Amino acid sequence: MLGYLARRLAMTIPTLLLVAIAVFALVRLIPGDPVQVMLGDSADPVQAAQLRAQLGLDQPIPLQFMHWIAKLAAGDFGHSITNNLAVLPLILDRFQVSAVIVLVAVAAAACIAVPAGLIAAWKQNSLLDLSVVGGATLLLSIPSFWLGLLLLLLFGLKLKWLPVIGYVPFSENFWQAATFILLPIVTLTMIEIGVLTRMARAASIEVLRLEYVTHARAKGVPEWLVLGRHVLPNAFAPTWTLIGLVLGHLLGGIAVIETVFTLPGLGRLLVDSIFARDYPVVQGCLLFTAVIYVVVNLIVDLCYPLFDPRVTVA
Amino acid sequence: MRLRANTAIGGALVTLLLGTAITAMFWTPFDPLRINLRARLQPPSSLYWLGTDEFGRDVLSRVMVGAGASVVISLLTVLLAVAAGMAIGCAAGYIRGWTDRIIMAVNDALLAFPGILLALAVMIVVGANKVGLILALGLAYIPSVVRVVRGTVLSIREKEYIEASRVIGNSEAYSMIRHVMPNAIAPVAVLTTSMFGWVLLAESALSFLGLGVPPPAPTWGNMLAASRPFMETAAWLSIAPGLCIALTLLGVNLLGDSLRDRLDPRMAHG
Amino acid sequence: MTRARQSPRAWTVGLAAFALLTMLGEAGAEALLRTRLNADIRSTDPGTNRDANTDGVIAHIVEGLVAFRDDTSVGPMLAESWTISNEGRTYTFRLRQGVKFHNGATMTADDVVWSLKRWLDPATQWRCLSEFSATGIARIEKIEAPDVQTVAVTLDQPTALFLPTLARPDCGQTAIIHRDSVGPDGKWITPVGTGPFKLGEWKRGQYVDVIRFDGYASRSEPRSGYTGAKTAQVDRVRFNAIPDSSAAKAGLLSGSLDVIMSLSIPDLEELKSRSDAQLSITPALAMTGILFQTRDPLLKDVRIRRAIALSIDTAQIVDAVMEGTARPNNSALPIGSPFYSETQSHGYVQNIMEAKKLLAEAGYRGQPIKMITNKRYSFVFDSGVLVQAMAQAVGINIELEVLDWAAQLDRYNRGDYQSMAFTYSARLDPSLSFEMLTGPKAAQPRKVWDNPAAQEMLRQSMMIDDAAKRQALFDEMHRRFIADVPMIVLFNGAELTALRKNVKGYAGWLYPQPRFWGVTIE
Repeated sequence: MLGYLARRLAMTIPTLLLVAIAVFALVRLIPGDPVQVMLGDSADPVQAAQLRAQLGLDQPIPLQFMHWIAKLAAGDFGHSITNNLAVLPLILDRFQVSAVIVLVAVAAAACIAVPAGLIAAWKQNSLLDLSVVGGATLLLSIPSFWLGLLLLLLFGLKLKWLPVIGYVPFSENFWQAATFILLPIVTLTMIEIGVLTRMARAASIEVLRLEYVTHARAKGVPEWLVLGRHVLPNAFAPTWTLIGLVLGHLLGGIAVIETVFTLPGLGRLLVDSIFARDYPVVQGCLLFTAVIYVVVNLIVDLCYPLFDPRVTVA
Repeated sequence: MRLRANTAIGGALVTLLLGTAITAMFWTPFDPLRINLRARLQPPSSLYWLGTDEFGRDVLSRVMVGAGASVVISLLTVLLAVAAGMAIGCAAGYIRGWTDRIIMAVNDALLAFPGILLALAVMIVVGANKVGLILALGLAYIPSVVRVVRGTVLSIREKEYIEASRVIGNSEAYSMIRHVMPNAIAPVAVLTTSMFGWVLLAESALSFLGLGVPPPAPTWGNMLAASRPFMETAAWLSIAPGLCIALTLLGVNLLGDSLRDRLDPRMAHG
Repeated sequence: MTRARQSPRAWTVGLAAFALLTMLGEAGAEALLRTRLNADIRSTDPGTNRDANTDGVIAHIVEGLVAFRDDTSVGPMLAESWTISNEGRTYTFRLRQGVKFHNGATMTADDVVWSLKRWLDPATQWRCLSEFSATGIARIEKIEAPDVQTVAVTLDQPTALFLPTLARPDCGQTAIIHRDSVGPDGKWITPVGTGPFKLGEWKRGQYVDVIRFDGYASRSEPRSGYTGAKTAQVDRVRFNAIPDSSAAKAGLLSGSLDVIMSLSIPDLEELKSRSDAQLSITPALAMTGILFQTRDPLLKDVRIRRAIALSIDTAQIVDAVMEGTARPNNSALPIGSPFYSETQSHGYVQNIMEAKKLLAEAGYRGQPIKMITNKRYSFVFDSGVLVQAMAQAVGINIELEVLDWAAQLDRYNRGDYQSMAFTYSARLDPSLSFEMLTGPKAAQPRKVWDNPAAQEMLRQSMMIDDAAKRQALFDEMHRRFIADVPMIVLFNGAELTALRKNVKGYAGWLYPQPRFWGVTIE
């Protein structure tokens, strides 16, 4: 098991290295640089050159890359050009915010989607099935920020039930923090329900057709037991893959939702720093996102045996 | 029954979309680009069925033209992603060896980026216009297509008819095109419908973040993004494009479902 | 920054303390003013690592020898008065008595000399350092403190811009700070200034607080610009970092914010009708316009540039984009400038026939002209859209290209564009307004107007201090500016601020920064 883990992790190194190179190159391909953004429309070339030298941006690119990688290996992600904060702690801070929203939303969505998909599959082609699929499809067809804005308008401004701006970390005040992230979580949950329900339903349909289900029914096993014991765990596996993919991607960027609800999350940090050309932060964020994606997929793969004993990890 | 419902509703919505897009090429109630500063922010009325925007342009006309823009952008993006993805995926799956390993390593690296962010970065580099958008979104989706195609290729390349084809003396390329491609089409087709949806949503998200198709050309995405400051005072500005996106996606997804059901009939019956 | 893990015990204790504090808080409720920045500040070191947001906050904490008044003239701040001698090269400042720093120390000439020397040290990275170099306005030869209340600065040549440069808010107003602001190793700690507020809590990425300084020594004359009486009347001002303007507006309406600045025009409409909000609309010194690249093969023909200028109705554009909060202006000088004379008010008058005639003469056959714009500033974006539409009516084929701000700045700095809709930040002196547009393109590709005669006039305007002579120079430069059409200035914009009804005493002014002294909440 440990050996498998080690091997899998080792396999990710080339991918991550490629990501690092791609990120570094991409960021520098973008026209405009942080110095120009900082100096604005009164950029004095002398000042600009000075600033560039200070930030190490006047060195040849391969050299800059080497410096960056060397520091990365030591665990130093560098410092933000915009405000001089250390990048890694900044990323982790922001990641906490995004992670809470994503994890809670996906978990909530899964809790609703999997049973819904299962029931829809069980009663396939009935009116119930149609409405579940229709509803799920509609949910994933709505632009996320539009949904978020509508909810914000309704609950924040018109009904005034929930606050409209800002964020308070849980460590400060639990209940207040909860009110700030309730709407974004609801928005994300609704969309993910759409995505996950369809997959859960498809997977359930597959399983329901299988021989041993018919067999169990023929034996006289009560229907709820059939569903709960045989169908559910097996239908969960492909849904679990999808959850992994979804988690991996969402953890990297719910930038749009964070913008709508003004949350200091990772997605917003990335978008803001791209617009500010804050190279160290952009590079750090993208690399971090890639690592998260890889780790999440690894965890997803490792969990398979829990659902299907026939599957072995190695 | 479900198959028919899917096809019916999905087909109706998609036909409506295509019909609007084609009609818009020849006729719209008003010139979608004509600015009329005296008629700004009018609510829906008998003259302007969907109201006017902050420059006095008729929203209905813009929505119609936007339909065309969305269709064109989505189609071209999908075409780019599928064409490139098929080529790369077949190459990887068929040639194998180091080519395959390198391609998949790059592919996985690309997949690790959230699509929107990759698209954003590419757009900033290439420029915010229709071409840049298509390139950016296509690039973001190619890795998924590559994965699916390669998977299909791997599973059928050892099948008998490929062997038979080789024995008769057909070249590798011929075998690949003749036998592999058609089999890859089915899963790719299903991927395509979800891609349409993603492209439409991504286009509006990119417009929201500040980089979309530039004015004055309307797309649903940039109309929705531009409506944000007016959400309370001129709600019709966001409802029209928002609903259009939602309904189009609904139609495309339902059609995609019926397509998948047709390709895999086992799914259709309980 | 790592968060400490909290044990359940600590949590309950925290909860109890929180409850207690809330009760105590109720008893002596603090007057807190909550406002908004569109991004977190960059640092607390005045005029070094800064942007507009940073300047706005810092201006509450530090002060310099001189400061701008409401009408953009320069008035005394920490200096009581000054004399100019030695053929305009030596400025002798007499300092005010009894001015206190935030740490209780009294300001003396020693502190002034130390501060000035620190700004002039390249290691500090002071934004205005280059102004005092060979390429700037003048070199500072020496700084002396003949006695504890006097400081004398000697330049190597006379200039009209010395005091305006000292007063520049984007250079921290050349703040006089106490030595304790830096550590023994010279590293920056915190701004120990003389301002009506001192720095409070700075929660990175979220907010920065400034707290009333009870020992503030106020000037006696009424508040004017960044000088005059500046007593703080609220206990604390919290500047929240909220990038999204719609969210900020929602915050104001729901009561979580008291003041929001830089409203967009659509928000203005909405807030006008609300009974719980009041608006402050003041003309601004920024400038929005359409830049042309006079080196471009197509646009180097002045007839085409002039045709574009004559095809648009500037008044209508300004009205639509700024909804009556700004006036059209084709002059490089802002309307609020004391040097904005009658001459400056003459610009381009829409003339479709003349425009078409010019196009025919120039042989324009409908070639596309690319105009860069951006979404970051909605008024720039909207102006671009309207100019394009109006020019289209005359047969000029403009294609808009939307870039993000950083990319547009890059193209601007390199002069790599055909045309662009652009906005300049405020310049507080007319020479500087022209200087941002004028210059030799070979050395400064970002300048739009390369006219040697104008450059010479500009140089003179910077050196002589006589107001009448400078006015004559600016008038002549304006005439040439309109004739050459290197760009079309559209408007100067307005500073739009929304406040809750219970905020009293706030006043906007020409410079687009807030002043929270003299403001109360009822």
